[in-house]
Amino acid sequence: MQDFKAQRNAMSSRLEVKLKNQLPEIHRLAEAVDGFFEAQGLPIKLAYNFNLAFDEIITNIVSYGYDDEGERFIDVSLSLVDGLVEAEVIDDAKPHDPLQAKTPDITAAAEDRPIGGLGVFFIKTLMDKVEYRHENGRNHLYFCKRTSA
Amino acid sequence: MDVIEERQGKTIIVAGKGRLDSNTSKDFETRLMGLAAAPETSMVIDLGNVDYISSAGLRVLLMALKKVKAGKGKLALCAVQSHVREVFDISGLSTVFSIHPERQAAIQSVA
Repeated sequence: MQDFKAQRNAMSSRLEVKLKNQLPEIHRLAEAVDGFFEAQGLPIKLAYNFNLAFDEIITNIVSYGYDDEGERFIDVSLSLVDGLVEAEVIDDAKPHDPLQAKTPDITAAAEDRPIGGLGVFFIKTLMDKVEYRHENGRNHLYFCKRTSA
Repeated sequence: MDVIEERQGKTIIVAGKGRLDSNTSKDFETRLMGLAAAPETSMVIDLGNVDYISSAGLRVLLMALKKVKAGKGKLALCAVQSHVREVFDISGLSTVFSIHPERQAAIQSVA
């Protein structure tokens, strides 16, 4: 089974990775994402931002999304078209809109600082746009960022 | 993530190397919490070779800070890379932690 595709041409590029619902898969994805950004000549900081967004959302899916221990797959895509990097994460875990999570109180003192919800807050802050939809029994999380931001 | 532990006087210096994410933070948590449990701990966490931190990693650092403070100790961070620093800034944790560019300054701050 081919689970890793990268297509490149002069105008646009696309990366697709199919992940198992296991945390170590995030590292495998990160290497593919780093390679994608490097091949496009884009800054490492942008790769970091996308890796962070993928990491936070996939950690949530793997940790809380399934009722059983069975093997599932999460489809991740990344594309660059005309200076816009677009990403999508599609999973068949329980319907869950991460954008409904409460914004954490980032001014609280260390002693009573909650860390839950921070991951989604990162995605919202670092990306230009984030959208969620549930379609055909699957969660779709889309996010994008301009390369020139 | 690899972790190197050193001592300078009574200060414990914990230097991480690699990624501090949901996958690696559990081991790091066990290591840090063991060190932070002693009363009046003086600890510096060197993030110079940590090139990636997620919210799971921040959570571990925050837990260590709480534990050290509870024991009347001091904890400082040093050498945070700029793209990692951004995550501290966004989360508001830059003001919660004592963060120093240089390791020696961090050591002095917790001595």
